[in-house]
Amino acid sequence: MTVLPANDIVGTNKSRRPVGLLLVAAPVLLVCWLIIWPIISAIIRTIWLPDAAAEKRFSLETYQFFFSDQYSINNLMVTLWTTAVTALILLLICLPIALYLRFATNRIAAYVQGLAIFPMFVPSIILSYAFIRVLGPNGTVDLLLNAVHLPHIRSPYLTPWGPVLGLVWDNIPLTVLILLSGLGNVSNQSIEAARDVGAGRLAVLWHIILPRISNSLLVAVSFTVLGIFSAFTLPYVLGPAAPEMMGPFMQRTFRDLNDPTTAITQAVIAFGFCIVFGLFYVYSVAKNRAP
Amino acid sequence: MKRRSFMISAAGTAAGLALMPRFAFAEAGKIDVYFTSDQNVIDFWTNVIKPKFEAANAGITLNLVDGGDSAGVQAIAERALAALPSGADPQSDVAEGFDTRLPSGGIEAGLWVDFSKAGLSNYSKINPLALDVPTSLPYRGSQVLLAYDTTKLDPANVPKTWPALVAWIKANPGQFIYNRPDKGGSGGNFVRRAIYEATGNDPAKFTVDNYTQELADASLTPAWDILKDLSGSLFDNGAYTSGNTQSVQLLSQSAVTMIPAWSDQALSAISQGVLPETTGLVQLTDLGLPGGFTKIGVFSNGVNKDAALKLADFVLTEEIQSAVLTELGGYPGVSWDYIAADLREKFKDIVPTSIPVFPGGDWEKAINDGWYRAVAPNVDRTAA
Repeated sequence: MTVLPANDIVGTNKSRRPVGLLLVAAPVLLVCWLIIWPIISAIIRTIWLPDAAAEKRFSLETYQFFFSDQYSINNLMVTLWTTAVTALILLLICLPIALYLRFATNRIAAYVQGLAIFPMFVPSIILSYAFIRVLGPNGTVDLLLNAVHLPHIRSPYLTPWGPVLGLVWDNIPLTVLILLSGLGNVSNQSIEAARDVGAGRLAVLWHIILPRISNSLLVAVSFTVLGIFSAFTLPYVLGPAAPEMMGPFMQRTFRDLNDPTTAITQAVIAFGFCIVFGLFYVYSVAKNRAP
Repeated sequence: MKRRSFMISAAGTAAGLALMPRFAFAEAGKIDVYFTSDQNVIDFWTNVIKPKFEAANAGITLNLVDGGDSAGVQAIAERALAALPSGADPQSDVAEGFDTRLPSGGIEAGLWVDFSKAGLSNYSKINPLALDVPTSLPYRGSQVLLAYDTTKLDPANVPKTWPALVAWIKANPGQFIYNRPDKGGSGGNFVRRAIYEATGNDPAKFTVDNYTQELADASLTPAWDILKDLSGSLFDNGAYTSGNTQSVQLLSQSAVTMIPAWSDQALSAISQGVLPETTGLVQLTDLGLPGGFTKIGVFSNGVNKDAALKLADFVLTEEIQSAVLTELGGYPGVSWDYIAADLREKFKDIVPTSIPVFPGGDWEKAINDGWYRAVAPNVDRTAA
């Protein structure tokens, strides 16, 4: 009796290929229908505008208006600023947490992990009102500082820092989880080997850990940037009246001003910035998959 | 059949079944009412209007659905608009607290019942100030007033005119805040009161169809100057909350001394303990802060359209309109002559004989966009 190798584990049998393609066809069609087509239709609606005689023609006037309107540009700038600052603070906070969770072996680590994941279960509208209670004027932090005779600090509520703090808290779980999964790739042996040849903590971090999780860092940054760029509730409740982030700005243009074309233009511009990070993500996933 | 291909075909069949169009029909005799208003209003419908209406109209029941906010009800209205050409059942009959100008094109397409032609027996009783488009039926009102902390501001010294209010805000920097005009009526009507002030305190100057670019420029620009002048003296050097509730929260945290607030919201906040007992309420006497009326729209293609029109007529009866005053803390949508005489006597000191009502429509757009562009950004927030 001879033992034959299992001949079709990886799908080399050509006759089954159509089945595999059929299986992915449903999600691909869904993505085309619900995501790709709306994008194309949005772009067409903003460049193919009716003129005075209701005759459709090619025009970039809505984009020209956006980029010549200081108010719109300020809103775009504050969105980019908020996104950059929030992503940076997130990495600075989450990387140490993830490193701790990866290498700690005691029971406290379980509680730290629970605490780090907790924000995922808090809806952002509840977070916003809690934020006003805690960090807002005469909030808990103010009262505690006052109790120990420390000076009154200016509350971040209704300033650009309000959404930043809220978004950082809200995005900690996702970032920690992605970084933690990346740190799973770092083997204990490689770190011990580095320590054996005399590498310090920073050297281990810089030469052993970071190169191995660079992919996860990229994914974490892409995910958080995409989420922050389109954030709505936290900037709406916690941010200043002006400049406002693109999320509330688009909603206001669409609903209050009843101006869908301008709102879609703003959406296409926001999409233009987000696609850069989307491509980063696709690139890093594809690079990972390459044999 | 191999197990794998069996699994695939079984999964495919299951998915196909799940994707089959599912049909649902509105029940005859059950009026679907979608609300944009808050819970206190839905409670009022549940406890007052629903039992009285169902008792008076055997066989008709009300299904009260919280649509969340106006975006939620707009989704319902868009569905009804999409169903209009095909005559399909929109599964909705009444929209409460919703501007029937939306979704755009709805009125032109005949989505909403025109109440001026619907033959309601109580239609003529409606307060003429409250009428807007004939597809909206005003049934209750409320007005913005000033809520303040009596422990920090003696009721004897509280400002009662606009100039006194401006003087007080400037003399007490950081103690006043109002919300962005599009995010809630308390700030929105404070801004509209500034527009009245800039144009000679004559509410009759603005109507829903007299909007022109020239009139808007002439009347809004001086109002923006008044508000810009105030901004540096507001809370945190010109901060604006993003809603009625957040303003109430800042007053309750004692972060500010005075806010504009809706009369019904302030009264219920005090009774629930959200605002302390020491909260004072005052209305300006030179010209009150404007108020607004909440309206009902009836879908022309709803299955229960006739019953819904009965309901619309019913909420304008003296019984319900008096209950709006006594149970809800709101103002009636009908003229005061159609309220029980004893109530008219009892509330005559509290409710002014006139509520300035600023028209919506194009004015609303111009005010919201103008405020965001002219007032909100032009303030140096970093100044000490």
